[in-house]
Order: sequence, then C-alpha cells, then structure tokens
Amino acid sequence: MIVLALLEARPRHGYELARLIESQSENRVQFHVASLYPMLYRLERKRLVEGRWVEKAGERRRRFYRLTPAGRRALAAQRGAWREFVNALDALTGFSHA
Amino acid sequence: MPDWQRYVRDRLPPLRIGPERENEIVAELALQLEQAFSDAIAAGASQAEAALRAEAQFQDWNALAGEIESVERHTSPPPRGLPRNAVEGCLQDLGYAVRLLRRSPAASALAVATLAAGLGGSAAIFAIADAVALRGLPYADSKRLMAVETHKSRQPELEAWTSMPDLLDLRRRTGAFSLIAGVSPVWNLVMTGRGDAERLECLYVSAEFFPMLGVRAALGRTFLSSEDGEKPSAVVVLSDAFWRRRFGGARDVVGRAATLDGGVYTIVGVLPAGFRYVGEPLAGTAGEIDAWLPLSANQLRDSARSLRFLKAIGRLKPGVSVEQGRADVRRIGTALSAEYPEACRGYAYDAQPLAAVSAGRVRTAMMMLLGAVGFVMVMACANVANLLLTRLSARRRELSVRAALGASRFRLARQLLAEGFVMAAAAAVFSSFAAIGLLRWLMSIAPPSLVKPGEVAVGGRTLLFAAVAALACAFVAGMPPAWRAARSDLETGLRESGRSLAPGRHRLRSALVVLQIALALALTTGAGLLIHSFRRVLDVDPGFDARNLLTISTQLPMSARTPPERTAVWRRLREALSRAPGVRAVAAVSRLPLLGKNLSSWLYVEGRPMPAAEPGFDVEYRVATAEYFATMGIPLRRGRRFDEHDDANPGAVLLVNESAARTFWPGQDPVGRRVKLGAPSANSPWITVVGVVGDIHHAGLETEMRPEIYRPYAVNPLSAPILVIRTSGDAAALMPMLAATVRSTAAGMPAYNIFQMEELLARSMAQRRFLMLLLTGFAAAALLLAGVGIYGTVSQSVALRTREIGVRMALGAEPAAALRLVFESGFRLIGIGLGLGWVAVAALTRLVRSLLFEVRPLDAAALAGAAVVLACFALAACYFPARRATRIDPIAALREDG
Repeated sequence: MIVLALLEARPRHGYELARLIESQSENRVQFHVASLYPMLYRLERKRLVEGRWVEKAGERRRRFYRLTPAGRRALAAQRGAWREFVNALDALTGFSHA
Repeated sequence: MPDWQRYVRDRLPPLRIGPERENEIVAELALQLEQAFSDAIAAGASQAEAALRAEAQFQDWNALAGEIESVERHTSPPPRGLPRNAVEGCLQDLGYAVRLLRRSPAASALAVATLAAGLGGSAAIFAIADAVALRGLPYADSKRLMAVETHKSRQPELEAWTSMPDLLDLRRRTGAFSLIAGVSPVWNLVMTGRGDAERLECLYVSAEFFPMLGVRAALGRTFLSSEDGEKPSAVVVLSDAFWRRRFGGARDVVGRAATLDGGVYTIVGVLPAGFRYVGEPLAGTAGEIDAWLPLSANQLRDSARSLRFLKAIGRLKPGVSVEQGRADVRRIGTALSAEYPEACRGYAYDAQPLAAVSAGRVRTAMMMLLGAVGFVMVMACANVANLLLTRLSARRRELSVRAALGASRFRLARQLLAEGFVMAAAAAVFSSFAAIGLLRWLMSIAPPSLVKPGEVAVGGRTLLFAAVAALACAFVAGMPPAWRAARSDLETGLRESGRSLAPGRHRLRSALVVLQIALALALTTGAGLLIHSFRRVLDVDPGFDARNLLTISTQLPMSARTPPERTAVWRRLREALSRAPGVRAVAAVSRLPLLGKNLSSWLYVEGRPMPAAEPGFDVEYRVATAEYFATMGIPLRRGRRFDEHDDANPGAVLLVNESAARTFWPGQDPVGRRVKLGAPSANSPWITVVGVVGDIHHAGLETEMRPEIYRPYAVNPLSAPILVIRTSGDAAALMPMLAATVRSTAAGMPAYNIFQMEELLARSMAQRRFLMLLLTGFAAAALLLAGVGIYGTVSQSVALRTREIGVRMALGAEPAAALRLVFESGFRLIGIGLGLGWVAVAALTRLVRSLLFEVRPLDAAALAGAAVVLACFALAACYFPARRATRIDPIAALREDG
C-alpha cells in the first residue's frame, strides 16, 4: 500500500521510492531495499503499476513506475480497509478520533 | 566509480527467466547501487566508504534472486484483468461460473432443478399447444384457407352450415377466392360384402377439396372434377388407417369395388397417412373418417337452398387479404338474401380463417396454459435470481477485490450473468428429460378429443422454444444480481463483513418475492376458478339418469326401405334385446345427447306472432320411440308420453321439452296447443302437443337448454336408430352380448358407438377436467415456488437481524417479540404481493372468461380462497425462520458480530 500511495502523485523510479520510504517514515518503518524491487515486480505483474524506461536529457536512463487505473482502485480499496482496521483498533483500545 | 552492472552480475545467481528481462533487472539493481554510491560521495564519504554503503543495500543475493524469480515466474496477472478478446473472456466467465456452482452443490442443484422443472413443464405444454393451436393447419399455404359460413343471425354461436345452391352461387360469384369446396357432415355408410358389416364414417367432398388443401393421394388419385358434376359418381377414396385395417394395406386396392349402403363404389385412391381433416377427431366419438366420396354422390346434392348441411372452405386468391375475402362473402350474401328472401331470411354470410375455426375454444385454453406455465417459469427464475443474490452477498468481498484489481462493472455483471447462463444451460439439459416424461404422462391423460397421441412429440419447434426459454431464464435469473453488482458501491464491500447485506439488495430480493406472490395468486385464483367451474359442471343435471344405461348405434339393412319394413325390423330388434338377461328397457332415438350432433327445424306456433326476420321459431328436432323417455329417465312434466295408439296417426302428436313450453307458452299449459313444422304458410298439418318432458342437455353439459320437440318413431322410422338400453346391473358387462344381438337381428346390421352413458358424460367433461388438472398442477408448483422464495428471503432477514434480535432479547424481550418481528416482515411481503396479485387477477381473468362455467371471473370465493391458501403457505414459510429467531442466544448473537 505504501508503494502505491507513493506512486499516486506521480511516477517515480526505484531509488526515489526507497529514499522516500526511508525519509517519510523517519526511519520508523523497518525497510530493506532488497525487498523493494521484488515488490515492485509483483505489483507490475499484477498490473497495479507499470514500469517504463525513461531517458531524460542529461540524466541516466531510469525505470519509472506509475500507477495503473487498477492500481488506483486497489489503493482506494486498501486505504478503506486500513481505515476500517484502524477504527476497529481504536474502538478496541478505547481511543477515538472524535 | 565501480562498474555496478558487473558487480550485480557477479553476485546475482542466474535467474531462470527470459534473458531480456534479466538484463533489465540487473540494470535496475545496478542503478540503485550507483545512485546510492553517488549520493554517499556527494554527502562527503570517501570512495571506499561510499562503495561499502552502496553494497550494504543488497546483502543476501541468493535470497534476492529467489524472491525475484518467484515473483517473475509465479505471480500470474490478475485472473480477470484484460482478456485478449470477448470470447475468451466469456469462456473464462463460464468456466469460473461452473467452478462456483460446484462449490455449493446443494443450492446449485436446487436452483437447477427448479429451473429444469419450469423449463420442462413449459416445453411439454408448448409441444401440446403447438400441435393443437399454434402450428398452422397441416395443409399447403394454410393461411389462405377460409371457412365460408352461413350463420343464423340471431344465434351466431350455433354451428354454421351452408346449402348446396348457396355453395354453387358463392363459387360462381366470388372474386376473392380461387376455389370453394363443400364438405358434408359425417355420413355413416355401412360396408358389406367383406366379412362383418361395418359402419364407416364418411365425408362427401367437392372435387376441389383435396387440391385446395394441397393433398395428393398416396395411392391412386383423388376425385376428378368430372366425378363431381351433375351425375353421381360411384367412386371412393380411403383413409390410410382404414385401408390398412380392412384391406391389409394391399397396394392393388385401387380399382377394386366396395359395397357401401348396398351401392357398388370403385376405390380410386388412398390418402397419405398423415392427412387429417380439421373436423377430426370427430366430436363425441373421437373417431376418424374412413372413406371420402364425391359430393355428387350425396343424396342431398339437389336439395333446396333452405337445407343447410354443408361446410364451405375457400382458398383466397394470391394477394387477397382475409378482410377482402370476408367482404366478398358478405357482398354475395347480401345479394343472395335479396334474391332469395324466403330461404335466406334469418341468415348472415361471413368467412373467417379456417385455423381460427378449427382451434376455437381450445386455442384460448392452450393460450391460458402457456401463460400459466410462463408464470411458473418466471417464478422459477425469480427463485434462482434470489439464490444468486444471496450468494452475491456472500461473495461481496471477492467481487470488491476483483473490482479493485481492475475488473470493470460490466465484467462483473457479465460474470454474474454467466452464472445464470450456466444454470439455465444445465437446467435445459435436464428439462429435456423432464419434458419428454411429462409429455408422455400428459398424453396418457389428455382427452383424445383435444389431441391425438401420435400428433404431439418433442420436435424442432419445441426444442427451439426450450432453447429460447432457457436463454430468457438465464437473463431473467442473472439480471437482478448482475444489475445489483454493476450498480453497487463495491469498494464498500471490502469493508463489510461477508455476511452482511445492504438494505438495497434486500429490497431487490423482497421485490422478487412480492412478484412471486403476485404470480402465485394469479395462478391459484385461475385454478380456483376452473375448479369451481368444474364443480358447477359436475352439479349440472344432464336431465337423464346415466347409471346402468348404455347406447348402441346401428343402421337398418338396405332391404328395409319403407316405413312399415323399418318398423318391423325395429320391433324384432326391440324384442330380441328385451329378452336378453339383465335388460330392463329398450328404446330408440334419432339423436343421442352429448354425441355432438343436432338437427333443427322451424316451428310455427298457433296464435303466436312469428319472430321478425326469421321464417319460424328455431327448435331442436328429434324422433323417439314411446319407451325412450322412461328408459332414459327423462321425467314427464305434463300430459302424456307417446303410446301405441299414436302409431295409428303418428303425424298428429308431438312432445315438447320444458324450455319449449316456457318459450312458446309462457305461464300456460302447452298440452292441447297446436303447431306446424316448417313455414307457416305450408300446407303441413297441425300437430297437437300431448305432453311436456324434462329438459336434457343435448349439446353438452355447459350449453344452454334449447327448445326441443319430439315426434313419434312411426312418423319417421329411423334408418339409423340409436338404441338406449337400461340394464339392471353393470351395463359394461352386457355390452358385447347386446352388440352381438343387434348384429344378429338382420344380415348386414352393424353395431357401433357402443358406450355406457356415464362414459359419454365423463368424456364430455374430459377437456375441462384436463385443463383443470393442469392448471391446478401449475398453481401447486407456484405455491411451492412462492413458499421457497418467502422462506429464503425471511430466513435471510432473520440471519441479518440476528444481532438486533439478540440485543432485544438480552434487554429482556420475550421470544414472542422476536416472532412478531419476523412475521411482520413476512406479512409485509405477503400483503404487497397479494395486493399486486389481485390487480393482476383483475386484468387477467377477463381473458379466461370463455373457459369459465357459471362462475364470474372475479368470483369472490375463488379470489378469497386463493389468497387464504397462499397466505397460509406463506405463513408456514415464515414459521421456520421465525422459530429460529426465537432460539437465538443473545450472547452468541452479540459475539458473532462484535
């Protein structure tokens, strides 16, 4: 879900994704770059993301990943489920957003 | 800077995937290392430090390779992502539907069985309806065939007959018809000279008759126009069945002679086996025509215009419409009425399609049955749709995930439709067995007057009907869930627990149940009306006592020509039969009740003004021996019966029935009054009414009584008397012996149409009984389906409200409260369903009015009765879920959803 969320705004390449995950979670999420690529390949196989080699002027050729429509829907669904889960946890533990 | 590509290549074990993809992956991983290295340098790290930092990102190369390989080799694209083409997608959907159905075999089997029963029943009924009423007549270009009719303008419901001069004039003057043929009523001729004398059912037809129908002789030929001219021609064409029975199917039969009623006829042809005239099977006896003769050979060929005894059938010229044909006949009729006012007074000329005449009331009955079976099918579909909807709610998560993975709403709807389709296809396979079995059973109980056993089979048209019906079922059953799936907010499905049910879906299910209740009410009411009608018919007093009464038709030998000779034969016959053991009384009559034959006459009543536009009062005419009334058990109301004294002057007396007494002498005693037969101006003698006898139902139990007159046997000794014999015990056991007695009275005397009168009565009700049985069967099926539907929906709502009921009970509610909760939801459905059902009944029963007897279409008892039966059934269907609701354990219920 995290990867999908990061790709929501715009296409990114693998290194950028790895950096963002590390920085945005302020290193609180245990993350291995070694697991990022297999995950990207799995999402690609499931047609939730699409990888494409892009060559920009003055830069190296990179593989950019972007969200497919199916990926966008899956993200929405997962967000919903997550929200539910969090709500349920809140209810169980006695905390509330209200 | 290190060569990161080489670095990755050296460490990453070979991947068992395509080399191109491997290169891509290697390049991407190398980029990751390169970027990390560059960033470290930029952050001020040394070359060695930066290289170490970069290398630290991937440590276990074996694990990485294994993971990548597993993803690349085993992660398949989403199952229903984007199929290459629609056919492949549909096939996928079908395969998936089959797997799903197999996952819950019991529910699937129930649904398929329901549909199969509905489809099988429909196909069987369609096969009968098609043969009886839908399929065109089995003649060439049969849509152009018209029945040309001369009706009594006052009583258009009476059978229409045309006279010989009218037929000739119609033929001469028509502009719309290419051919007009005449057909006589069924004529009984006795064949002698080949073993036992046999009475044949014959028709006299014009030479145009067979060519007009497009029928060719299977052997020899039909009639030549020269054989249907001025002079009678002694030629005969045999039916296939008669040829096989009496001539052993000998191919050299053409040219042989046959002795009919003492005359020698030459056999010129044999008709094809499949040929059947629209009048067959014959009313009353369900017999078939044995032999066909040219109209010129009929003794009435030179009769007057007032003697109407023919059926006229015409073929429209190409390009002429039915309406133009009718206008043509009416035009000629108007001209004839002006030219022959005396003979044509009281008659109207018209034409209608032959198919409509032959199907008649049976068509209405068949259409009603088809409609009923259609209702049952819609109900079966509604049940299956309900089942799919229930399953849909259980699969909501699955569908949501699939929607999330990229399946469009259309795809999901198509998937659900595919499930309906698979069920319908399975049902279609089973239904063909059901249809064949049901049809076999229906044919074994169907009255032969309605349909001949050999005529109905599951043929191409029936299969086509079944296929179309199955397809329609697939759509009707698959559409509601598909519609629901396409409309609903599937993403919320991910959040819902699998069991829960959105209120909207419940509304759809409720709507289906309401529909079922409404349809079931319509069917139950229809069945109720028919049952009611049937009971009314059973209650009809036929006017005679049918118990221990039997009848034998015979024909006096040709040697007995004069009235005294015939009277002598009759006396011999009476004595021989009276002496037979077990016989209490013997009599003879010209027309027997319920045999479907009539003869009418004009009556002039002394002192009573003539009806306008008609030459006299129309009455039924019968000749009867003195013993007839006592033997039949027909009561004498006034005066006396015939007796031996009347033989001296038989022409001077007659009896009338009660209807005639009421019609012609209202409030007066008819005994002693005088009448004339035929036109008032005729020089015919006055005849005195000597008695009034009870009414009997001659034309059928459901027809109104008509005024009748009886004349003594001696006034017109019958050449073909119908004997009625009252026995002291079981009449059936005596039949063979009595028939043999008749045959031995004189050489060449046949005995046929040997029936118990009770059998004749039962046969006259057979069509109605058949119709009632079928509709009752459909109504029972409808009740069952509605019950299943209500049960399913109420059960579901109980399951949904388990928590609510649990909470209420935890708060101290009595089980009765839970019961009320469930019954309330049931009552609401039943109430709405009954309301809609009544509206449907009000709209539909008008269509079946002609099938009812002495029962109004909106008969209160039938309406209320059907509603009560349905409500009881529905409440029983609510009972089980309700009982389950009262046993809900509050703790368990709360835990379940908590």
